Formats: sequence, structure tokens, C-alpha cells
Amino acid sequence: MSELRFEDVTVRYGKHTAVDGVSLTVPDGAVIGLVGESGSGKSTLARAAVGLAPLAGGRITLDGAPIPTRGRRPLQMVFQDPYSSLDPRMTIGATIAEAMPRGVDRRAGVAHLLEQVHLDPSTARSLPSRLSGGQRQRVALARALAADPRVIIADEITSALDVSVQGAVLNLVRELAGLSMLFISHNLAVVRYVASHVAVMRHGRLVEHGPTAQVLAAPGHDYTRELLAAVPGRRSKP
Amino acid sequence: MSATLTLRPLPTASPWVGFGVRRVGRLIVSLWVLVTASFAMIHLIPGDPVRGALGPTAPAELVEARREALGLNDPLVQQYLNYLKGLFTGDLGTSLTSRLPVSDVVAQRLPATLMLAVLAFVLAVLIAVPLGVAMGVLTRRGHGRRTEVAFTTTSTIVATVPDFLIGVALVYLFGIRFALFPIAGNDTPASYVLPVFSLAIGPAAILSRIVRVEMAAVLEADFVRTARAKRLPARTVYLGHALPNAVTGALTLGGLLLSAMVAGTVLVENVFAWPGLGSTIVQSILAKDYPVVQAIVLVYGVGVLVTNLVVDVILAVLDPRSTIREG
Amino acid sequence: MRWLRVARSPLGLTATVLMVTLLALAAIGPLVWGSDADVVDTDQILAPPSAEHWAGTDNLGRDILLRVLVAARLSIVLALLATVLAVVTGALLGAAPFLLGKRSGRIVTAGVNIAVAFPGILLALFFAVVFGVGATGAVLAIGLAGAPSFARLTQTLVAEVEARDYVAAARTVGVGRFRILLRHVLPNIAEPLVVNATIGAGGALLSFAGLSFLGLGVQPPAYDWGRLLFDGIGTLYVNAAAALAPGAAVVLAGLAFNFFGESVAKGLGVPADARLRPLVRKKRVSTPGSDPDVVLDVRDLEVTLAGPAGPVRPVRGVTFQVRRGEAVGIVGESGSGKSMTALAVTKLIADHGQVDAARLEFLGDDLLGPRTAQQRRTLGTKLAMVFQDPMTAFNPTRRIGAQLAEVATHHQRLTRRDAMTRAVDRLGAVQIPDPTSRARLYPHEFSGGMRQRAMIGMGLMNAPALIVADEPTTALDVTVQQQVLDLLATIREQDGAALMLISHDVAVIGDVCDRVLVMYAGRIVEELPTGVKPLHPYTRALMDAVPDMATDLSLPLATIPGRPIDPADVPPGCAYAARCPLADDHCRTVDPPLAEHGTGHRVACWHAGEELP
Repeated sequence: MSELRFEDVTVRYGKHTAVDGVSLTVPDGAVIGLVGESGSGKSTLARAAVGLAPLAGGRITLDGAPIPTRGRRPLQMVFQDPYSSLDPRMTIGATIAEAMPRGVDRRAGVAHLLEQVHLDPSTARSLPSRLSGGQRQRVALARALAADPRVIIADEITSALDVSVQGAVLNLVRELAGLSMLFISHNLAVVRYVASHVAVMRHGRLVEHGPTAQVLAAPGHDYTRELLAAVPGRRSKP
Repeated sequence: MSATLTLRPLPTASPWVGFGVRRVGRLIVSLWVLVTASFAMIHLIPGDPVRGALGPTAPAELVEARREALGLNDPLVQQYLNYLKGLFTGDLGTSLTSRLPVSDVVAQRLPATLMLAVLAFVLAVLIAVPLGVAMGVLTRRGHGRRTEVAFTTTSTIVATVPDFLIGVALVYLFGIRFALFPIAGNDTPASYVLPVFSLAIGPAAILSRIVRVEMAAVLEADFVRTARAKRLPARTVYLGHALPNAVTGALTLGGLLLSAMVAGTVLVENVFAWPGLGSTIVQSILAKDYPVVQAIVLVYGVGVLVTNLVVDVILAVLDPRSTIREG
Repeated sequence: MRWLRVARSPLGLTATVLMVTLLALAAIGPLVWGSDADVVDTDQILAPPSAEHWAGTDNLGRDILLRVLVAARLSIVLALLATVLAVVTGALLGAAPFLLGKRSGRIVTAGVNIAVAFPGILLALFFAVVFGVGATGAVLAIGLAGAPSFARLTQTLVAEVEARDYVAAARTVGVGRFRILLRHVLPNIAEPLVVNATIGAGGALLSFAGLSFLGLGVQPPAYDWGRLLFDGIGTLYVNAAAALAPGAAVVLAGLAFNFFGESVAKGLGVPADARLRPLVRKKRVSTPGSDPDVVLDVRDLEVTLAGPAGPVRPVRGVTFQVRRGEAVGIVGESGSGKSMTALAVTKLIADHGQVDAARLEFLGDDLLGPRTAQQRRTLGTKLAMVFQDPMTAFNPTRRIGAQLAEVATHHQRLTRRDAMTRAVDRLGAVQIPDPTSRARLYPHEFSGGMRQRAMIGMGLMNAPALIVADEPTTALDVTVQQQVLDLLATIREQDGAALMLISHDVAVIGDVCDRVLVMYAGRIVEELPTGVKPLHPYTRALMDAVPDMATDLSLPLATIPGRPIDPADVPPGCAYAARCPLADDHCRTVDPPLAEHGTGHRVACWHAGEELP
């Protein structure tokens, strides 16, 4: 069982409170969608979970224990920008292998992971510059999986991608069912597609939280209603 | 609809207050570091500086008396406090060689150096900005590939030749081959021509390159496209929209260059026997006259800090965003 | 490999040859001429240049030229030693904040920031006093004086790499700081450091000459170029060559290092674009009395840009019209040519490329003809542009109000005061609260949504006939996006302006536009009224690939295999064939024309509307 729990988490940058007393649970095997606009604190919450942002209050636990901050972390993160998340001078194989625990067959492991994210195993020998944005994002997912994580945090992983390759990454996220995941996005339609539960953040606070179908059908907070009303495509598709 | 607008409150406190506090704070810290370094300089010298200055044949009593007079026998903390006190009261100590108060030496030599530096500043900026802007426009994307190569090559060559060598070449050409200008001292206005040129020409070359690169970059910026979309005449686009931004970018990078000119006077003064601080510090270093060296290093350092401050203030006036940036 | 590119430019070749000569001279100079250079000849004291002594002799009758050749080794060795000291000290100081963590790192950074403000020559003098006069003292002085700027450079480079997500990712998989520095940071900053060290070596060489010239460097009987220069200047009146020869040597050596460093930097950087050849104009379609109902008339538009491997054509024959008051959307992925089309039809490609078309008319005005004052006025008053990033689209150094007012002072000849009144009025019209005081603010004091409103307001300084909006809401939050789209709709209703909306988001286009143009690889592949079922396989896949609020959750999303076309490498035949499930050999060889499929519906596909497998 792998349950990620945020308890009354607060993150401050100087005087600015980026995350303000957020409590949220990612249950075992569930995908929780976290939505909000830029500056709402959703990405900061994610970075706090993997130790990239300092906590000013509250605690983050995994199965009741604090998350180790040294060595291999049981929480892995996939980032937004596919052009910044892979070392341009490291082959895809080395990038994935770096994340794998010691003592496993790295070559076979890399090949297996690449197949799992629907990339040709021969990709292991190429440098990131040969790959498209969508392919890079799949490598980033493979790297996260290589660390054998208990929870994956996906931070806006499709927002920098071209629309024609977005679908493949979203399908992959759905194929990983069974893994706990915090899926952050500003796009409600994307969250609706991958997440069983949805949490809405605004100005550093959690304003609404519940099963996706329920929140989208009957939003309880004014801000959620406003977000829903702003989703384009109300009229019709061309 | 207006209820949901993401409004930012109108700024109440001026950003200048924060900028001023941060900038002055940094100046004070830098000054303290400078003063401490100039104090420490004499103590970092291996061996006894007084023995070094007076030579191995000087009698031990004389060395001891001189050490006592300089306060070198006091505890270090006491010496440091005395040094600070002296600075606040304008007492910079006494020259080991001429026995004159160091403050008199500085006061006598400073104006010539200041004049040289300021004139060279002005000349460098007057050359660099128009040249850089013109080159930036002529070599903007898709234009003047050959002009660009010619300009960058020439400016690299000019910038590589150090100021004192330019000085030597100018002395040879205009002082010896064609005796057009005086080559030593600062007695007549004509005697400024060669030293000011030698000091200004290298920085002018570098600065004009920076201005060109900035100008070319600014011409690619989105807001220049906006200005074009407004169908403003080319002159307004270049001078009204691009130039202020190019100059701020160039100053950010080129500010250090201007303060380097303060110190550049040291070499140029030695070429032209200019009666300023630069020739004095070299003579004093060779004569091991440490109180004078200490004081002049301090004066140069202050000159550098003041130049940097002026550059930052100009930047803040030109570009309102820089008052918010980390000072 | 890429280093070989250095030697290809004439400048790089010259620099490389100079460098090799210099290093060879340093290696063999003292061995070959070492003893001859020390031969004292009392008959030839301070002789001017002659056939025997090309650069004359010094005050002991020694040959200047030989001494200059021999001095190369000491000059270069000392400069390299000082550079190594500067780079090593600087790199350690620069990398320290990364290894030490935040608090102690900040102290190192602050120290470096203070030190770097002081010019090198001042620091060198300081250290020369401390370490004493002589070659060793000078190496230490110049090395340490150069350290702060290398520390600053290393810090900046490390900070840049550190901000990249791959470093964060390495951290979360448990790679230690030191290992991250070795594996991820160093390889990515090595190139710029090496380039700067090369240029720095040139600088050190010149600084040495400076210190020696002041008499603070190398002491006799040893001699480097600076020392020779120092001695030569004393005899400038008698034998100028004694000063000019070592001076020339110093400058040549300094240039060799500088040019070599710069050529390497250039070789490693982005290759320059190849030159564009002026294109042969197409035969224009004659324009007998154009339709007054058409605002924008575009026929067979082509855009050619310069690329490193030759010309690239991101727009390849686009034809469309925008009628009065109509809203036309252009949808496509990155590289489809949609933004280039927008810039081309508004004459904003300027210096970057060439625009050609069979016809390009705005309000009956031929935009391909010579630029006239009248044309500029028409474009300035009747055409409004809204760009993607409202943060960068305003001039950061000028107040918002002034940037709006400028339009009116130029095109309507209003006075400054009247123009400002108009600007405030327009800011109010785009629903910016308290426009009078906000007109006095700078762009960075506006929020993103407000900036985009102000940009729209700028287009409304006159009564525009057409608003061209290029991804106007992509950089904005969802709720703000809706407000901006609503504002554009309101303006259309009130002022009757036509709208050309460019977006990658099918849903946004569907909400706002009457008619949609779908672009792929520089062509329009489908043109259809909003609400009509698309027939092109690309359009259909594009709409199914993006989830919306009604997507069936039980099915996987449609995916398009492969990647979008690179405009520099467009295949023959249909550009979409490689990704299309319906493609056959015919598709791969013959490009389908845009053909009529019902009223207002045009499709460029040999298999339009066929069922997808």
C-alpha cells in the first residue's frame, strides 16, 4: 500500500505564501488530478513532496512515515518542459539507467522500460536531441518508473506538447493504472480523462476536492464553477 | 465579469525606496571590504615591510623607530581601529619616503587622474553608442553579413591592443614621427589628446560591440514587432523603442568596463608621465612606500564603487524594472 | 567534430595558424636562438634597424628581434600559469555554492560579487604589492586577479544548468550533489569555460605585459615581452623598433588567443543562416475592381526564410479570404506555418524572409507593391495585431498609455494630450478599471490578462477593419483566456471588425470563429465552416486526440503516429502521408489540391471522408 498524505502543508518564498495549509491524500493506486491556474501553488505543492521546495509548516508522509530526503526517493516526478528534463549530453539509456537501483541488469531494465512507454529499445543509444517532445516526455516517464517509485508526480506533463502527440502520453498515463499518481494540470478536460479524483487549488489553498465525476457535474465552490465555465468548446467543435 | 478580473493593486510604495536601501546597503558592505583589504594589504606582505622599505643595511634602531611611528607594534585590532579612525578624520598616514602626509599626496594627484578618467569615459561612450547602434541596425538579422565580419574583426583587434601599447604607438606616431601633440605632462589642453585617446579607444571598441549585439537582439524582440505593427516610421522604431532597451542591456554588461577605465589610468599615466595617482602608485610600489600605496588603492577602489553606483542609478532611471531586480 | 568547423572560416583558420606558430615558437625559440640573443656587442649599442639586426639592438648591443623570439616561451608560459590559476580558483569558487548548499553558498556568492566589481588591474596591483615584485609575484597577482570573473562565469553557468529539470530529476532519483556536479553540470558547462579560458589566456598575456611594463613583472636578467617593452620605451627616441617589436609580438599573441577563442565559440554555437537569394516574383493576378466586401485577399502565399542548410519554406501556397465582420480561425500545430501566415499577410516578416503571392490585398490595397505612406497609414489604422505573449509585446521601458497614444500621434496627427485622452478612453473600452491612473503604469505593473486587454486596446485606437490575433490566449490562464475571447467577440459585434484568430486549440477556434482553416506543413489542408463534420484525416485525428469535457472515458485517445513535419524537410506528395492511416502510394507521390466538398468546405486529400481503419 502506498498512500501519499499532505497534512496542513505550507510553503513560503520570502513573504509570499505559495501553499497555504493544504491537506490532501493520494490513496493507493489512485490518480488524483490537481487543477488550478498559474500561481495557485499546485506545482509548488508537488516540488515540496519531492523535497525541491522547503516546508514552512505541516508534513508530508508516505504510508504514515516521513519521506526520505536522501538517496533514492520513493516519490518520482515528471516535469513540464520536455526540453529541460533530459540532460542533452547523456544518452537516453544512461539517463534511465541512472535512476535504477544498484544490482539490477541495467541494459535489460532500460529495454523493458522503453518498451513499456512504447519507444523502440534502440532509442537507448540516442541523445535527447533526436527525439520529439512527446518522445522525450515518455523517456521522462520511463526514468521515473526506473526508480521503482511508490508514487509518481506528473507536473503539467502534456502542456508543452503538440496536440497530435499529447494523446499518446495521456494514454500511457492511463495504462500505468495501479500506481499512485498526483497529476497536475491546468486543463480540466485532461484531468477528467486521467484522474479518478480531482482537487482544485486557488491562491495556495485547496478549495474543492472529490471524485472527478461528482466535482465536474456538481461543483461545490464558485471558483470551480468559474473554471468549468471557462473551458473552451462550449459552443461546438468545427 | 469585472468581479473576476485578476487585478494587481496599484503600487503604493515607490519601488525606488527598496532599490535605494538595497543599493546603499551593498555600497556600504563593499566599502567595508575595500577598507579592510587595504588595511590587510600591509600585513599580508611576508616579512617586515619596514625592513623591506628601508633596505637590509638600515640600522635596527631606525627600523624600530619607524615601526613605532607607523603603529605597527600595536595589537592588530588596535591598528585596525586606528586605521578606521584615521579614514574618518581624513588622516591617511605619512609617506615613508617623502615624509609628507599621504592625504596631501592624494589631494595633489587626484584631480589629474579624475580629469583623465572622466574625459575618457565621455569619449568612449560618445564613440561606442552611435557606432554600436548604427552597426546593430546595419547588421540586423538578414543584413550586412560582410559589414558584421569587418566590424567584429576590427573591433576585436582594437580591443585587444592594451591601452598602454596604444599609448606607446601614439607617442611614437604623433609625438616623435609627427610632433603634433605633447607626449608628457598635462600642462596644455593639447596634452590631453593622446592620453585620453589611448585610454578610451579600447573600451569604446568593446562597448560598441556590446551595443551592437544588444541592438541586434532588441530588434528581434516582440515589442519591436509591436512597434512595427503600429506602422511607426523606422526612425521611431529604432531610436524610440529599440535604443533605450539596447542601452540598458549594454550598460548592464558594459558598466564594469567603465569602472575598469578608472584603474586603466594607472598604465596610461605611466606612458605619458601624467602627474596623477597612477604614476604615483607605481613609484610607491617600487619604493615600498606602503602608506601611499594603501591610500591610492583605497581611492581607486572608491572610484570604482562610485562608478558602479552611477551606472546602476542610470539603469534604474532608464529601465523601471531594474529597481525591482535584486540590487 | 564540431571543433573542425572552427578552422573553416577564414578568421578561424588564421587564428589556428597563429596559435600553432606561437606554440611552436614557445617550444623551440630558446633552444634555437637562446645563446645568440644574449651575445653582447659593444660596437652595436642601440643601433637602429639594419640588415644585420632587423629590429636594431639594445643598450648592450643585443639583437632585439632574437630576444623577442626567445621571450615568447617565458611570456606564454607565465600567461598560461596565471590562466590555470585563475580558472581553477574561479571554478572552485563558482561551483562552491552548488556543493555547499544555500546558506554558505550565499556568502561565497556575495564575496565573488564584491570582488568582481573591482577591475583586474587594480586587484593585480594589490596582489603585486602583497606577493612582491617579480615573475612569481606577477603570476600569483594576475592569476588571483582573474579568478573573480571566472568564478562569476562558473556561477552563472552552474546556476543555469542547476535550474534545468534534469538536475532536479537526478536529485530525486538519489544522485548525490557531487556526482550531479561531475555527471550533469560539468559536461554541460565545459565548452563555454574552455572558450573563456582561451580568451582569458590572451588577457593574461596582455596583463603580464602591463605589469612588466610598469616594472613590476619579470626582473632582469630574465626577460619576457613586457620587460623588453619596458626597456625599449626607455630608448624610444633612439631606436623605436626596440619598443615596437615586443609590442607587436604581445598584440599578435593576444589576438591569436582571442580570435581562436571566439572562433571556437562560434563553431560550437548555432550555425549562421545561409544567405537568401532574391526570388523571382510570381506573375500577379490582375486586380480588376476588387470585391469591396473582402477585407483581406490572399492567393497562393509563400514565405521563404533563410536557414542554416539553405532556404526553408514554412508557408507553401496558402489561399484564403477574410470578409467584412467575419471571424476566421487558423488552427495548426507548431511548425504548421500558421503564425508565419499571420505575419506575412500583415507585412511583419520584414527582414527575416521573403513573402511572395499571386495576390495580397488589404482593403483593396496591394501589399506586394512598393511601400507608400498611404499604405502605412491604412495598415496602421485599419489593421490591429494581438500577439501571443503580452509580457514581451510591450516595450518595458515606456508607460502603457504612451505606447497606445503613439499610434494616434503618428497616424491621426493628434496632439500628445488628445492622443493620451484617446488612449485612456480605449483602455476603458477594453474594460481596464481606473484607466486614467493605469495609463501611467509600466507594462510589468500590469497582470497578464490586463496586458493583453491593453494590447487589444492599442488596436482600437482607430476603428480597425481586421484584428489579427496570433495565439492571443495561450500564455494566459483559463479564466482570463475566456475574458479575452469574450472581449474580442464584443468588439466584433460593436465595431464590425473582422477577426483572424490563430490558435493551436481547436476548441478555442470552434468557440469564436465562423470558419476554420486547418494548416499542416505550410498548407491549408482543410477549410470548413464551424460545426461541419471534417473530412481530412488530419483534422479528424486532431479533434479526437484532444480530450474535451465529453470525451468517452472508456476508450483510449486517438493518437497520431510520428511527429509534425519539419519545415526544412518536407517530403514529396502529401505532407501528412507518413502519419496517415489512409495513405497509399498515390498520396506519397502527388500532393492533393484543395478541392471543393460542398459549400464553403474545401479539403486537400485524395481520401477525404473515407472511413478510418
